[in-house]
Amino acid sequence: MQPLANITPLTPATNSGSIKISNVGQVFTTSSQTVVALEDVSLEVKPGRFVVLVGPSGCGKSTLLMMMAGLRQQTSGSVLIDGRPITRPDPDRVGVVFQEASLFPWLTAEENVEFPLMLRGTPKTERRAKSQDALKLVGLDGFGKRHPHELSGGMKQRVSIARGLVQNPPVLLMDEPFAALDEQTRMTMGDELLRIWAATEKTVVFVTHSLTEAVYLADEVLVMSARPGRIVDRLQVMLPRPRTYDMLSGDAFSSLRDRIWQHIRKSA
Amino acid sequence: MAVVAAFFLLWEALSVTGIVNARLLPSASETLRTLFDLLQRANVLYALGVTGSEVMLAFVLAVPVAAMIGLLIAENRYVSDVLRPLLFFAFSIPKSIFLPMFILVFGVGFAQKVSFGFFSTIFIVIMSTTAAVESVKVEYLTVARSYGATPMQTAFRVYLPSMLPVLLESLRIAMIFNLTGVLLAEMYASREGIGHMIANWGENFQMKQLLAGVVLISVIAIIFNELVRWIETRCSHWRT
Repeated sequence: MQPLANITPLTPATNSGSIKISNVGQVFTTSSQTVVALEDVSLEVKPGRFVVLVGPSGCGKSTLLMMMAGLRQQTSGSVLIDGRPITRPDPDRVGVVFQEASLFPWLTAEENVEFPLMLRGTPKTERRAKSQDALKLVGLDGFGKRHPHELSGGMKQRVSIARGLVQNPPVLLMDEPFAALDEQTRMTMGDELLRIWAATEKTVVFVTHSLTEAVYLADEVLVMSARPGRIVDRLQVMLPRPRTYDMLSGDAFSSLRDRIWQHIRKSA
Repeated sequence: MAVVAAFFLLWEALSVTGIVNARLLPSASETLRTLFDLLQRANVLYALGVTGSEVMLAFVLAVPVAAMIGLLIAENRYVSDVLRPLLFFAFSIPKSIFLPMFILVFGVGFAQKVSFGFFSTIFIVIMSTTAAVESVKVEYLTVARSYGATPMQTAFRVYLPSMLPVLLESLRIAMIFNLTGVLLAEMYASREGIGHMIANWGENFQMKQLLAGVVLISVIAIIFNELVRWIETRCSHWRT
């Protein structure tokens, strides 16, 4: 067994990536009506956990994610990351990976990855070094000079992940990142993401429509219902890691997936 | 290139074989000879200079002004609601209807040509600037925001590069409108300029000179067009 002193944590303990959401509500008011998008949502994510949010369309799972990213303000309640409230985007604490084509097509892959660093004026050589590391981590070593239109859908999402990780934030938020990919690429990207997650020990909050993807990736699945959006179930996925393709056909896997499906059918 | 060569060959053939009367359609070779002849003449060069400066001045005035108005329309709901219908109206009627008004206000001369060129150009630039702003994807803005971009960074690092291909394309089209506007103003009422000369040749049925003038103008327009297109391909190789 290795002595503890030799293990240097990837991120400082004070910046470890815990998330605490307490009694969060979100109300939209239009001229004709008031819509309750989220009602009394509370959840807690321990550092380094992989949590997946699932639910029918319009259940507010993306809204909830955008609140954690500081891109949207809740009407009530609080969102804390590492004990401090998130009121606006804070790239030191949170990296975001968006749905499909969010890369800037006029920049190369490495320039896209460096974009967050460029915004804060990091010197070019340091930027380049970090983007090379991040691209290597996501398995795109040597693809830095390509433009997004020269990359496949899966590769583009790898670049997006690299961009989310380049500043080494403790939390990675992912908003349906693989939704636009075909089934096979999607499975591969799931495995890749788990590998990257294991290597970086990030806290991941992942939003998806796919129940299989949810159970396959997660430590914990939070199931949401629509109108008003609230959390109706929390499932601990006790399947061992690394996850493998055979588990998909196992009883444990299907019973978890069925349980989520029951909730969603009721809600829809 | 092959198309251009084929066009000139066909033209030459039609005229030389007499399928079309050579008085009506002088041959391509003869037209080109006339063109070179014209380019030696001081009054033609002077006219070119006059027209050129009118076109350039109208262009450099119209583009920034129109781009500003376009930005305002794209960014401000109120300005948009007020100006959009007016613009659409102004865009869809032939501008030459208003030429007499320009003569009344500016007299016949340099200012009238420039102002009419300006007037002919702004609508297309306003509309394409608005389109360019709207072509910027919301996703790009969200990404910039989530990584803490300041408004200036968003303007220069997201809006500008994203809009550039559409903007450059609009410059090309704007120049066509601008050139057409100035030439039209010159042909309508003028004492100098290449448009005036062409109108004169036309009225006297000097077909050789008329066609030479047409070729000259197209060559100038094509050169400008290709220049902007060259910049365009350099800046927007990422657009497929």
